[in-house]
Amino acid sequence: MDVFTLKKDSLQDFLSTLSAAYQLWAPLQKDGDTLFEPVLDCRNNLPDLDHQAKIIKHAIFPQTEPLFSYDQNDQIQAPGFGDMKQAVLFGVRPCDARSLTLLDQVFAGDVPDPYYMSRRDKAILIGIACTDPFANCFCTSVGGTPCGREGLDLLCTDLGNRYLVAVLSEKGKEIINKASSLFTAAPAEDIKRGAELAQNAERGIRRHIDLAGVTDTLGKIFEHPVWKKMTLKCIGCGICTYTCPTCYCFDIQDEPMAKKRGRRVRVWDSCMYKEYTLHASGHNPRPTRIERLKNRIYHKFKFNVDTHGAFGCVGCGRCITLCPVNEDIIENLLAVKGAA
Amino acid sequence: MMNPYLPVKATIAEIREETGGARPIKTFKVALQNGNAFNQKPGQCAMVGILRVGESMISIASSPTQQEYLEFSIMKLGKVTSALHSFEGGETITIRGPYGNGFPIAEWKGKNIVTIGGGIGQAPLRPIVQYVLDNRNDFEQFDIIYGARSTGDLCYKTELFELEKRNDLKVHLSIDMADPDWKQFVGFVPNNVLRIKPSPENTIAITCGPPVMIKYVIHNLLELGFSEQQIFTTLENRMKCGIGKCGRCNVGNFYVCKDGPVFNYATLKNLPEF
Repeated sequence: MDVFTLKKDSLQDFLSTLSAAYQLWAPLQKDGDTLFEPVLDCRNNLPDLDHQAKIIKHAIFPQTEPLFSYDQNDQIQAPGFGDMKQAVLFGVRPCDARSLTLLDQVFAGDVPDPYYMSRRDKAILIGIACTDPFANCFCTSVGGTPCGREGLDLLCTDLGNRYLVAVLSEKGKEIINKASSLFTAAPAEDIKRGAELAQNAERGIRRHIDLAGVTDTLGKIFEHPVWKKMTLKCIGCGICTYTCPTCYCFDIQDEPMAKKRGRRVRVWDSCMYKEYTLHASGHNPRPTRIERLKNRIYHKFKFNVDTHGAFGCVGCGRCITLCPVNEDIIENLLAVKGAA
Repeated sequence: MMNPYLPVKATIAEIREETGGARPIKTFKVALQNGNAFNQKPGQCAMVGILRVGESMISIASSPTQQEYLEFSIMKLGKVTSALHSFEGGETITIRGPYGNGFPIAEWKGKNIVTIGGGIGQAPLRPIVQYVLDNRNDFEQFDIIYGARSTGDLCYKTELFELEKRNDLKVHLSIDMADPDWKQFVGFVPNNVLRIKPSPENTIAITCGPPVMIKYVIHNLLELGFSEQQIFTTLENRMKCGIGKCGRCNVGNFYVCKDGPVFNYATLKNLPEF
């Protein structure tokens, strides 16, 4: 495996090269938040690699996406998928890269979703190692690691005035070749330092839960009173699902437009809303927040395991950090274990 | 890559009123504009849509042995179904599918069949009725048990009254509320099942209706000696994609749109939310 160093002074040039050849996305400061967005100006708006971006999945799975449009004569026009520009996602956290491999299982499936798959196939992921994990990170409890490489094409590790850049795939090699003058072969001491930082990073993870057996436990406690207690705080706002990198539920709606034109769009939806499962008859199989929060935990820690063989959670901690009432999925899972 | 969200267009060829009242039901006879057969199996569903309005998952109420058209029996409830009810025939709608597993009807060859429906729950059972009648020699005794709240709420009345005259099947109708003109059983469908006592010997029972009816029908079938494997039902849930991706129609780790809507009771009884 090839490993290079990239001077931080050269980052702007690297990003400029990328944005000339690809649609470039990166975490950017905007209105006091760090949002993962298309990079429009790599000179004056450098990526913010100090904070956790709100989400990155919208680069592959947009929050609102037209499936097709139609004119006043009902002529349907669907997008072609061939002419889509290749995208480079820069500054992807290892947990977010892993989350895309989980979304792949859903959107590939027996009936592949061409909207997701065509973007995904054309995306190149440049990761940034989490050498200093965030307060609610718990990736190591769900099979990840803060400097993990799964799903990434390149992984950058911050070494002070330079990045150590590990090439992890053919796509990654292609990126290096595009800007080869900026990269030099990494000296042995940098490689050693990168490995040390990765080890320290694991120790920097402050939140842990032993999830061995949790899937089996969930199989036994569907009717347990623990669910009611767990839900007392929840206000059903759905922020946990919108900011979750492994959540993918969506709605499909028709949008009438001017001059009798219109389009059929898909938009993110949330299992935390009552309308999500509400039948036309008025019957609702998940009528209260108790059933809805319970379904979220079951989906991530049992159904996804039963169907795809992995937890539907990468331990990014966003649902904990961003919950307005301090619902905490680790505490929820501890309660599940306690109910066994 | 095939685009699973892209519908085909279809023309509404005929609209029949089934029931009146606050939640009327109409049956829409629909022909695909591309002339292709839909190639559905009995028990499968289709996403019926109207451009500028939306889509609804509807069970297909006609049998694949009727190739030229599809039928959907639709209650007027939401945006899409209300728009459909305002149609007069000749309108263009969108269709995609077929979705779901369908009934394993080929495996039921040589068996007695009993369908047990309630209200609009007869719609997904109707393809079985048509299929069995179109392949009558493949099956033994055939019983249709069907009920609704009142005579005005019975779907497919003309059709069922015609079938009552045939001697190669038995039709057992019921209404919940007494009516001076009603000569048949008055009472709930599960009670009618107990009264008729279909024999479990070499029989498959398929039930669909309101959730509470399904529960008691299954309870009573088990009491009559049916094994779990002999009982099938077809479920519904809110759906958007039809291909097991949008998330909402799950019962446990099964998606009703993809792994259902048809479930054998041996599977269903283990699902947490049923």
